[in-house]
Amino acid sequence: MQSGDLKVQSKLTSITTSKRNRVALSIAALVLLGVVAVALPHYANGFQLFVVTEIAIFSVACLGLTVAIGWSGQTVLAQTGFFGIGAYGTNYLFAHHVPWLISGLVIAAGCALLGLIVGLPAARLKGFYLAIATLAFAELIDQVYNDATPVTGGANGTAVRIVTIFHINPASALWYMSIFLLVASALVVRQFGRTRIGRCLRAVRDADIATSSLGLSSAQWKVIAFMISAVLGSLAGTLYGQALTFLSPDAFSFDLIIEFLVVVFIGGVDRIWGAIIGASFFVLIQEALQSFGFYQRVVFGVTLLLVVRFLPGGIVSIVPTARAFFRNRRDQQLSREPDVARAGAEQA
Amino acid sequence: MTGTHLLEVRGIDVSFGGVHVLRSVDLDADSGFTGLIGPNGAGKTTLFNVISGYVAPKAGTVLLDGVEIQGTSSLSVARSGVARTFQTPKLIGSMTLLDNAMLGIDGRKVEHPFLRAIGAPRTERRLRAEASEMLERFGLGGLLYQSVSSLSLGSQKIVEVARALLRQPRLLLLDEPAAGLSVTDVEALAAPLAEYANAGLAILIVEHDLELVKRLCPEVIVLEFGRVIASGPPHEVTQRPDVVAAYLGDETLASRK
Repeated sequence: MQSGDLKVQSKLTSITTSKRNRVALSIAALVLLGVVAVALPHYANGFQLFVVTEIAIFSVACLGLTVAIGWSGQTVLAQTGFFGIGAYGTNYLFAHHVPWLISGLVIAAGCALLGLIVGLPAARLKGFYLAIATLAFAELIDQVYNDATPVTGGANGTAVRIVTIFHINPASALWYMSIFLLVASALVVRQFGRTRIGRCLRAVRDADIATSSLGLSSAQWKVIAFMISAVLGSLAGTLYGQALTFLSPDAFSFDLIIEFLVVVFIGGVDRIWGAIIGASFFVLIQEALQSFGFYQRVVFGVTLLLVVRFLPGGIVSIVPTARAFFRNRRDQQLSREPDVARAGAEQA
Repeated sequence: MTGTHLLEVRGIDVSFGGVHVLRSVDLDADSGFTGLIGPNGAGKTTLFNVISGYVAPKAGTVLLDGVEIQGTSSLSVARSGVARTFQTPKLIGSMTLLDNAMLGIDGRKVEHPFLRAIGAPRTERRLRAEASEMLERFGLGGLLYQSVSSLSLGSQKIVEVARALLRQPRLLLLDEPAAGLSVTDVEALAAPLAEYANAGLAILIVEHDLELVKRLCPEVIVLEFGRVIASGPPHEVTQRPDVVAAYLGDETLASRK
């Protein structure tokens, strides 16, 4: 009796301790990340810094897809549109003497509104039709880069006005902002994922018919997913403009849509780490194989095939998949040797 | 005919293509259990789909507290206070029991939209406690953080009922809640439901387990080929020869041979 109470007691304490440990661990991880992030520009060369900055920016844009494609299950191909609007729009306002940060936020708010406008009709579409409709939107924006010459510089492109912060070297400043934006968006998306938004979006994805019987409007939640995705795309675009230093329509072409999709599917489409790991993989391979041109595509294609075939949850699912595999094998072994297992249990 | 019952179904006609599924069906339900029985294909689930707004009837009205709800959408019917379960539970397999139950709360009218949108910890914690309590009432308190896909069909059905109750409905439609459940599961399901019914919730239940229906429902309605063929207290209705023939058709014929 007493020992049972003690066991329960110790189990309860171990639950609270493990929770406290987890919080402490998360804070420690964030502090460590902060230290590494601050120190990085002092040790990395310009190219390396550009690469990690690009990874952070791509991760943010793809986090938007984690919400829209991963959670709510919509085949949204509009992300490059918002990414481009973030880059071009912020640059336009900034060039016209609106403070850079304000420009970025105003454009992000505009993208939320645009997400609402595009999302309302798009939420009635599914699968292939939704893909085509959102692709049309991205292509439309692409046309705007080419034709709205006074704003975008047209096909010739436009130079980006570089922002300076506290006299920090612009590349380092951009890295700080990118990693800050990534951590902030990941935390926000994580919070969304664990609460009402995350639950409702998954309900829309997995139990579409039953959703309305719960009093939840699929259309409304799809639009919300679309808007979150648009804001993240736009914020990432704002930073991407600074990273590119020169904007031209080529940078936001159809290829980029496919690249975003490759990132989220290779990484793991409904996980936050999936976007980050996918973006890292993508940018690193792309930069490593820069001089091989065509072979980049081969590597991505083959990787995507392998991932879809063997790890449908993306690279991020390696650990749980492996754990399940080994647990299964152990269980099989135990069931094959029942006497040994029983003897072990008795000894314990 | 006007507004005396919580749910009044009048003259509902439904046909799919050339098949007449429901013919001029009338039904009333008030607080407490009302049973809806009949052989497979009698149109019970279709009637549920009409009441919950999934199927628009060709003719007839569905009144909830005197307000016509037929032919609107399943969403607006749900928002006017009707919760339902499905014959095969529609849960989110990748989510935990608790998160699935939370969806019932998520579908309620939200009092602080912003706090709920950002998932403010205090509100979230309070609602989680409410959902856990509900699952505990149904004996699932130990499985809160299990993923639903690892559960037996029976437990999944119970989770779906708990989720529907968390919506705080005025009318609850249960489509064969006990089918595929073990005896203990049926008990775990029936006891809390009876408490809700006693407290005034109207529960319309489609069920093949006649013992359960007899125990719970003071009133049953029998459907056959889309028509109401009998209604009344279950022990009387189930004695009627036409009901026996309709319900147990093949078996009675087989036993006569």
